[in-house]
Amino acid sequence: MKQMKVINAVMVFAMMVFASAYAQVTPKLTDPEIASVAVVANQIDVNYAAIAKAKSKNADVLKFAQTMSDDHTAVIKQAVALVTKLGVTPKDNALSQKLMSGAEKTKKQLSAKSGKAFDKAYIDNEVSYHKTVISTVEKVLIPQSQNAELKKLLQDVVPTLKAHLDHAEMVQKEFAGK
Amino acid sequence: MNKKLRRRTIIVVYIFLVFVLNSCSTPEERGRLPGDTATDASSTTSAHKVYSIEIKDMKFDPGEITVHKGDTVVWVNHDMVTHCVTEENTKAWTSSNIAAGNSWKMVVQSGADYFCAIHQVMKGKILVE
Repeated sequence: MKQMKVINAVMVFAMMVFASAYAQVTPKLTDPEIASVAVVANQIDVNYAAIAKAKSKNADVLKFAQTMSDDHTAVIKQAVALVTKLGVTPKDNALSQKLMSGAEKTKKQLSAKSGKAFDKAYIDNEVSYHKTVISTVEKVLIPQSQNAELKKLLQDVVPTLKAHLDHAEMVQKEFAGK
Repeated sequence: MNKKLRRRTIIVVYIFLVFVLNSCSTPEERGRLPGDTATDASSTTSAHKVYSIEIKDMKFDPGEITVHKGDTVVWVNHDMVTHCVTEENTKAWTSSNIAAGNSWKMVVQSGADYFCAIHQVMKGKILVE
């Protein structure tokens, strides 16, 4: 009987710890905050592409960077058009700030490299960055968005992000084979 | 009316009826057997058909299409980003950029594997029978 009480107490404690951890890693966002995260996440990849276009001489990398710049600019344009229509002003928040601070570190790391080392670092970062953004959009932004049009825009963006990830992984494999 | 005149009249009426009935059907229907149905995804221009391929969610839909030589294929871009349609093996033909909401068409002369040269993971196939 005493043993059962101990097990129950441990289980309750474990559930409390898990709930607390989940609350910390899954921020609660309003639609204006979600709009901010969406715009910031796309702008970060446009900025990475600008670095690649300035530093790389590899045709595959340059082409990929141009696609990232064009596609993410198109997504930002759609997002801005939607929030303008809805009368929503994107609001800065902890998640968009976290993305921006991470991007600053990555930009410094990329800027310090050149030649093949830069190309590899850029593509490796594109793979990991798109994985992070896809996860954020699917697990945080879409479930928490309240406005149906905002939710649909986010859902429509996911296939583009996944195609970018597949494309980045394809270039990454080509580099690994050389 | 004598027998010879009656026979001539019957022949003239027969030829007239055949002509009228034939002109009421389209060339497509004339070549179709009873019970045949037209493909839903296509429309017909003269003897050739027009097929539509939707570009949506970073995919060509349908991804594989079977047509006859001379048929037209129209690609319609429903995505929010620009795409293109390019023959994959020798780059024999390309649409150049198809902006969001726009379309591009081509009269098919031969089968081909094609892809979006902008998003190289997007692929499609045209078969000619």
